[in-house]
Amino acid sequence: MSAAQHQALVLGSVSFVAFLVFLCFLLPKRRTKFSVFAACNLLFVALMFGAVALVDLSGGRAEIVVAVMTELPIVLIVAWVCLALAGGLSVQLGTLPAEPVARRPRLRAILGSAPLVLLLSVGLATAVGLIWPSRAMRVYAPAPPQFFVLKGLIMAPEALYAGFAALVFVMAAWAPRLKRRFYFKNLAFAVGMVCIATIALESTIFAGLRVWLEGDGRRTILETLNTLEACLAIICILAFTVGLSLRYTPAVATTLLHRLQTGWLHAQEQFESLEWRAVSAGAADRLTYASDAVVAACRMKGLPESETQKALATIRLVAVMKDPSSETQNITPGAARKLYELQEEILCDDVLASKISWAAGWRSRTHEPQTVKSAPLHDALKAALDLVDNHGEGEGARTPPLWHYIVAVSAADAKMIDPAQISMQPRDAAKHSAAAEAYDAAKRSLRRLDDPE
Amino acid sequence: MNADVPKRYLTGLFLTRLASFWRPLSNLGAAQSHVDGARSLLTAAEFQEELAILGLSGRRFEPEDYSDALGDYLNISIGVHVIPDSWYPELSRRLAISGRLGELRYSEQVNMAAIFVPGSLPPLVLTLTILHELGHLAAGDLLIEPDEEFEEDDQHDEEAKYTTLPLTKGKKLARGNPFAAESLREREANLRASYALFAGCLGDENPYAHDMYDVL
Repeated sequence: MSAAQHQALVLGSVSFVAFLVFLCFLLPKRRTKFSVFAACNLLFVALMFGAVALVDLSGGRAEIVVAVMTELPIVLIVAWVCLALAGGLSVQLGTLPAEPVARRPRLRAILGSAPLVLLLSVGLATAVGLIWPSRAMRVYAPAPPQFFVLKGLIMAPEALYAGFAALVFVMAAWAPRLKRRFYFKNLAFAVGMVCIATIALESTIFAGLRVWLEGDGRRTILETLNTLEACLAIICILAFTVGLSLRYTPAVATTLLHRLQTGWLHAQEQFESLEWRAVSAGAADRLTYASDAVVAACRMKGLPESETQKALATIRLVAVMKDPSSETQNITPGAARKLYELQEEILCDDVLASKISWAAGWRSRTHEPQTVKSAPLHDALKAALDLVDNHGEGEGARTPPLWHYIVAVSAADAKMIDPAQISMQPRDAAKHSAAAEAYDAAKRSLRRLDDPE
Repeated sequence: MNADVPKRYLTGLFLTRLASFWRPLSNLGAAQSHVDGARSLLTAAEFQEELAILGLSGRRFEPEDYSDALGDYLNISIGVHVIPDSWYPELSRRLAISGRLGELRYSEQVNMAAIFVPGSLPPLVLTLTILHELGHLAAGDLLIEPDEEFEEDDQHDEEAKYTTLPLTKGKKLARGNPFAAESLREREANLRASYALFAGCLGDENPYAHDMYDVL
């Protein structure tokens, strides 16, 4: 077996073992587009080197073709990685660019040009090799200067692009507030790409030494470089395996997020904006006096501001839902119930419910942001549905809070609802009478303010 | 949409041909650039790219931070004016009857954009309205010559492509050109607002932000 065949056997065996590891351990757990591509590439490399190890190649042009074919998988890996980092796979394969690349258009353009430049350089190198054939697969044999040109044409851009990719992975790993798993993942890929860049540089130097180095130490130096290349190849494969096997499961799934964006948020925004329009345009003309009385009654009873806001939101909802005008036709008990159910769905997920929040006003960081739970609308929807639809409160249900009774008394007084249908009245007579007293007092107080005479 | 381009010079024709040959090649390398006159609606992933450009990807942020970062990127001053309309019910009534929740004004001469929103809006609607108007600025919707007559069927298929118009001036954050149809510009501004709200709330828990550190 020649030295070239021996080297091909070693590289082929390493690639085949790596392919088996990918196939048995990595792919079943994490099947990304890149891991599938890398597995196919490893199999191709193993078969290629296996064929070279088994068949003793002779003849310049055949050796050139095989030499270029053995470089092709690494070139394709580098091109794929650069394209993925640049977000160039986004349309076809649904990937985003790496965060450091998205902010740097020039870097993105450089990485995006990788497939074109690398494939052109491989094509050019093949042309050079076919025009001036050399014994490319005879590892330690002296080679003509054209062989160095051939190697350099492939390896220089490969080293450059692999270096850029390594740099991007390092930048990504060093991003602030990054999850630890992503830190190690990007660092592993950076090591892998540094190995590829180093192999490319080493390979170019190796080609130069084959052309120009003479003397006793020549063989030893070339063997040492060959060993170094094999070690770098193993480190590279290990680094990529580690990088691909590190997984992170986000606390919030994209499917859930998409459902919330298109479902809940849209529904709540529509509901609240329509309600605001209806109230502001005066569609619910019975509302003004009733809401003033509700607020006054809540304050008389010393209720916290959050409960007063809930009472106010409830009376507004009841008024709008009971208003027959066309402006409010979309705010129906059915729409309110649907929105309430969507809110309940979010509240089932503690992590999500605590995170989804919005400011209580523009540049008002001093105020607590509102959440689905803390915003008045959630409790107001339930209370309003209870009053309008008389649903949801069966026997044994929790006794409503005082603000609920105040709204009920006010809505009945303003003829928004039928007083006979106030279902909660028998549940807590004490609260109901306290609410009625407070409401009457608030009304008297408002009348005095309106008509001081 | 078809545009009539005068072919006055042979060089111009040659360069056009060359560009049409180069475009697929450059698209092979770089990320898809939506300059071919039609594109689909903004996705959450594409919005994440915009956030990365603004330096907000993976960070919790308020609409104010988004407004400041967008203003810096576009090199314009963005002012948000919350009108205390609860003191003037007649003003609220007129706004409500007009069917508008907010108004965006842009002056190219003074590099300034102003957003006006009624303060009586519910907090969530107020936030989304401001983000909606900022979304118009990010998309460059004010930098085209709108065709008032233009109409396009608003399909519900997320992959559907719609006609866009080129910018006549200025700078935008979005990679794609603004849509020709006003209804689509409004729909996309709504999408941007909802993406911004969720991205700002989730910060480093945003799965789309994770994808930018997990490209392989």
